[in-house]
Amino acid sequence: MFELYKHEVKMYIKTLIIWVLCAGGMGMVCILLFSSVKDSMSGMAESFASMGAFSDAFGMTQLSIATLQGFYATEVGMVHSLGGAMFAAIISCVMLSKEEDAHTSEFLFSLPVSRNKVITSKLGAVITHIVIYNLVCVIVYVMGIVILGEEMPIKEYCIFHIMQLVMHIEIGVICFGISAFMKRNRMGIGLGIVLFLYAYDLMARVIPDLSDFKVISPFSYANAADIFSTGEVDMTALMIGIIVMVVSAITAYRVYSKRDLAT
Amino acid sequence: MENVIEISNLTKMYGKARGVQNVSFSVEKGDMFGFLGPNGAGKSTTIRCMLGFINYQSGSIKVLGQDVKSGTQNILKEVGYMPSEAMFYQSAKVKEIIKMAANVRGMDCSKEAEMLCERLQLDVDRKISDLSLGNRKKVSIVCAMQHKPRLFIFDEPTSGLDPLMQSEFFELIKEYVNAGATCMLSTHVLSEVKKYCNNVAIMKEGNLQCVNKVSELTKTSSKRIKMVRDGVYEDFLFEGDLNDIYKELQGRDITDILIEEPSLDEVFMKYYE
Repeated sequence: MFELYKHEVKMYIKTLIIWVLCAGGMGMVCILLFSSVKDSMSGMAESFASMGAFSDAFGMTQLSIATLQGFYATEVGMVHSLGGAMFAAIISCVMLSKEEDAHTSEFLFSLPVSRNKVITSKLGAVITHIVIYNLVCVIVYVMGIVILGEEMPIKEYCIFHIMQLVMHIEIGVICFGISAFMKRNRMGIGLGIVLFLYAYDLMARVIPDLSDFKVISPFSYANAADIFSTGEVDMTALMIGIIVMVVSAITAYRVYSKRDLAT
Repeated sequence: MENVIEISNLTKMYGKARGVQNVSFSVEKGDMFGFLGPNGAGKSTTIRCMLGFINYQSGSIKVLGQDVKSGTQNILKEVGYMPSEAMFYQSAKVKEIIKMAANVRGMDCSKEAEMLCERLQLDVDRKISDLSLGNRKKVSIVCAMQHKPRLFIFDEPTSGLDPLMQSEFFELIKEYVNAGATCMLSTHVLSEVKKYCNNVAIMKEGNLQCVNKVSELTKTSSKRIKMVRDGVYEDFLFEGDLNDIYKELQGRDITDILIEEPSLDEVFMKYYE
């Protein structure tokens, strides 16, 4: 089983490097730019905070964009959050279907490994990549913050990035579950899910009728502005996220271990 | 003689579409068994059921003494399977694929793999994406043979291989079979079955047409008759009581006649049509 896991991890190393360079690099640049835009931001912070729904959606009513926390939450947080979610969706929504899409399923399943072990290896590879993405990006961001010499509340920072990791894993597992139904690669579905959940979270923050259902989107419990302003996590949303994750994983096992493989 | 494969009343439907219906046959240990039929006859479906790739509605399959539904992993440990589509991970190198297949089995097959690559003239340092169909087939052969399985299942193995490699491939099979392995060769190439197989099952439109020894297949009541009758040359396959043709020929001007066993191709074609 470890051999398959190793193989899957290896197959997505290039994708991982590209996404880490993009998200981590952009985050680093944003952080380093903060000192140069700090003064002009202090003048704009009030305007940003009074833009009504726009300010609510992006959490600028909760945090001042003139502070590193606020700037990090609105700029770096968004890049990391969306970038990680898209990366998770891209690798996981083809993880199972790619074997049939590329006609490699007969080679893979002629090896004496049960389908459940194949699923576990692939899911393990998805989670490993998501963990590495988050870990490397955080290291890069921390380096940026250290270079900048600004203060960052450690507790909120840690909670935010742990929730980001959980959210990325949730999206990865949802897409992985969807992949179990597919016989062809459908990367667009994964990206569509990410954009829908992100847009839904923004809308739920603006439209009062949707605010009670905000918890449906995993972006709700990993929102930078909420975490940096309160230091807490929306536990209802997190629990729903964990349940969705477990259900998606069980679905992947049940569907993929039983169905006929396409050639 | 011990049966390595036992298939009984196998039925597989793809929704309402036909897969295979009531297929039953067995393969003896040490046999070189041909599995013949035109495209879409149900050969690959049968094989895929045998290896647990697809579920089937009814019937039973035992491979190496184990039921496919409960012992797939144990069966796969002892089987060398070569699919008709030799597809591998495009970004990997040949040696990585061969090593991966061995490692997943928890075996060190490096010596056997090296010997196979040498005999098949396979460059292990090339990337899969750079390989032709023939070379991908060679990779598939190495992956199927390197762990010295007890049972080989080949699905259209020679398509894409040049004649020299085809010959080398069959030499390798003969060596493994002589060492005690069993081989099931699924193909639509009649000559391969004629030349290498002892027994054959013929499939057509999802149904098993016959299972017999290759040598017995020509011993039918059919006769190929070539003659010059009333000055006209005639060549036809006659089925039925030979006395009938004797009666018909009486009183006719027969200047030349040859009555012979039909060729194996003709027997196969009879099942195909």
